[in-house]
Amino acid sequence: MAAMVSPENTPVWVDTARCKACDICVDACPAGVLSMQQEPTSTLGAMISVIAPEACIGCNECELSCPDFAIYVAEKKEFKFAKLTDTSKARQEAIANNGYRIPTDYK
Amino acid sequence: MAFNYDKYLRLEKMPTLWCWGCGDGVILKSFIRAVDKLGISQDDMCVVSGIGCSGRFSSYIDFNTVHTTHGRTVAYATGIKLANPDKHVVCVAGDGDALAIGGNHTIHACRRNIDITFIIINNFIYGLTNSQTSPTTPQGMWTVTQKAGNIDPTFDACKLAIASGASFVGRETVNSPKKMEKLITQALQHKGFSFVEINSNCHINLGRKNKMASAMANLDWIDSITVSKKKYDAMTPEEQMNLLPTGVLKQDTEVREYCDMYDDIKKVHQGERAKITQDDFVKKI
Amino acid sequence: MATREVISTGNELSAIAAVDAGCTFFGGYPLTPSSEIMHVCSDLLPKVGGASIQMEDEIAGICCVIGAAMSGTRALTATSGPGMSLKAENLGLAQMAEVPLVCVNVMRGGPSTGLPTRVAQGDIKQASNPSHGDYRSITLCAGNLAECYTETVRAFNLADRFMQPVIVLLDETIGHMHGKAMLPTVEEVKAGIVPRKTFDGPADEYFPYECGPTEPAVLNPMFEGYRYHYTGLHHDKNGFPTEEIETCRKLIQRLEDKVMAHQDEIELNEEFMCDDLTGEEGEVLIIAYGSVSLAAKEAIRHLRADGIKAGLFRPITIWPSPANKIKEFTDKIKNVLCVELNIRQYTEEIERASSRLDIEGLYKVNGRAISPHEIVSKVKEVF
Repeated sequence: MAAMVSPENTPVWVDTARCKACDICVDACPAGVLSMQQEPTSTLGAMISVIAPEACIGCNECELSCPDFAIYVAEKKEFKFAKLTDTSKARQEAIANNGYRIPTDYK
Repeated sequence: MAFNYDKYLRLEKMPTLWCWGCGDGVILKSFIRAVDKLGISQDDMCVVSGIGCSGRFSSYIDFNTVHTTHGRTVAYATGIKLANPDKHVVCVAGDGDALAIGGNHTIHACRRNIDITFIIINNFIYGLTNSQTSPTTPQGMWTVTQKAGNIDPTFDACKLAIASGASFVGRETVNSPKKMEKLITQALQHKGFSFVEINSNCHINLGRKNKMASAMANLDWIDSITVSKKKYDAMTPEEQMNLLPTGVLKQDTEVREYCDMYDDIKKVHQGERAKITQDDFVKKI
Repeated sequence: MATREVISTGNELSAIAAVDAGCTFFGGYPLTPSSEIMHVCSDLLPKVGGASIQMEDEIAGICCVIGAAMSGTRALTATSGPGMSLKAENLGLAQMAEVPLVCVNVMRGGPSTGLPTRVAQGDIKQASNPSHGDYRSITLCAGNLAECYTETVRAFNLADRFMQPVIVLLDETIGHMHGKAMLPTVEEVKAGIVPRKTFDGPADEYFPYECGPTEPAVLNPMFEGYRYHYTGLHHDKNGFPTEEIETCRKLIQRLEDKVMAHQDEIELNEEFMCDDLTGEEGEVLIIAYGSVSLAAKEAIRHLRADGIKAGLFRPITIWPSPANKIKEFTDKIKNVLCVELNIRQYTEEIERASSRLDIEGLYKVNGRAISPHEIVSKVKEVF
């Protein structure tokens, strides 16, 4: 099995050169780890951002559903992933209801 | 698991030219994972693709690759396979390529049961050329060639493949990348013609004028029209009419594969065995 | 050296030649009057460990042949006019992607279904440009039984040399003619096989479509560690699709120049009884090819017996045409008669090459042969 070494002990990381801001990974994440952000210089004016890596549960749904090889998740054995909490779920719901962007005033 | 796809990609070609959110990329990744899991060497595989967005599949992966004329994928692949029977040959084509212009070749490749894996990326439209009706576009949807609403009926490609004699037939959707990977793995391992239909999202062409302009909306629609084979088999015909079963729909490991049978022909002509007769076959007609 | 006596038909000789020349793959579809080539290949190829397959239609026939050739084998298909029409698109891909193969066209009455069992030479213009776009066809025409064999062998070597399809034209008369042919030995044929060039350096230094402006692509067989891409789109040095201005211009220009800059390697003619044609009053030049050339030769013997100095110029390589030779002859000799089983298809090329509009012609398009007598009468009538 080929493997990619995770940078700096990170659960999930993105390649912004490849991301097309399709929103699919943000929609797929159960834990509100990801969000689109305004990026005027990129194709759809948006770009993926990992906003809450500490909440990542390592389910890999983002990586599986990304069509552009733009997001990677560390192996279970090389990172201690979090558990899914109500806080994470609530944040995800807020993101999904706000066009896949974390509301600017979100606490 | 952080899987390194880069080994299998022609990196200088990235990013792909597919639209943002297009299922083609998800299918490509599932395919790469399946090949990696089986340990198939990149040098031992040829990937042949047709014309359409799915046709660009072959330019992104670092294998022996061929981009053919519209509809002729399996015909080219038959030549490659028959001339190199111990190598892996995979075809990737869209619904228009495989079922419209290429319908005849698809039928006969199934009939021959030649050991090729045929992945049909069915996004229910002609995507690359901007929204013309395909043989699987639902009636009533808007297409650019039938702006008043599509009247063309559809057919079930997997049923066609089964009737034509393919010995492995399966279907999955881009909503389930792991199931797709498993199905493709099984298809690659199967010795015989493996017909794999993957339902994919084209929200840019099909979706935009048919109330599913986002990738997620289009993916939800695909979810709503597919159901596992187990559930499907228990339904009434009325319920089944508007659903496509997913999973392995047929697998016959008994029927002989074409190149294998052709080896017998070689033996006859080389004087190593008697002529082939009807007695050599269980099927008499 | 033609020392081996064989009695066979044109079609069979073409198939046998292919196998002797190292062809290991046939793909095709039954089409009168070419089907015998497929029948013979279906027996001979599995015997030598090759493969022969009858596909579901003509298009699949050429596609599987292109696929096999792409993977590295010498591959053959055979058909007639209607099949050439169907194969056109994919012949174009083989031209564009520079895939070597041999396509035998046993010409029959056309257009359309035409006269399936009768002779014609109506596919000459089509052979020059079977598919859309710009490229140069290499087309050979067998003029007797032995050439059904030798031209098929030559076709395979030319295909590998120039990395493109080569069309071998037979006509129904020659394809079905049964007689004696004096052939080179199989050893001579095998010794004369010149396979396609391959690259044997490191894979990361291999650029299949990066070659000199008058050279063909260097396409290694598949599955040997050199991975690249084939496509019918315009492509760069790796075979990947591109629309870049200079790359596209150079590619198409190279498809033209790789043939035209080396026409000397492709051109082949027969000059029958032309040695004493000096341009005097009353000399007659007949231009004919295929089975018509057999009648023309007989006609020339009769004409000479009647005191008319006549000779035959017979192009064996039809395309690219031997324009320089044609001009040389037509500058010298005033009376030129072109005899073909079509309406002026090669005559118009003679006119172009000679810059003359006074070329006489004898044409027949009803599926019957032109007899020596008819040629003699025509010569006496018009000159």
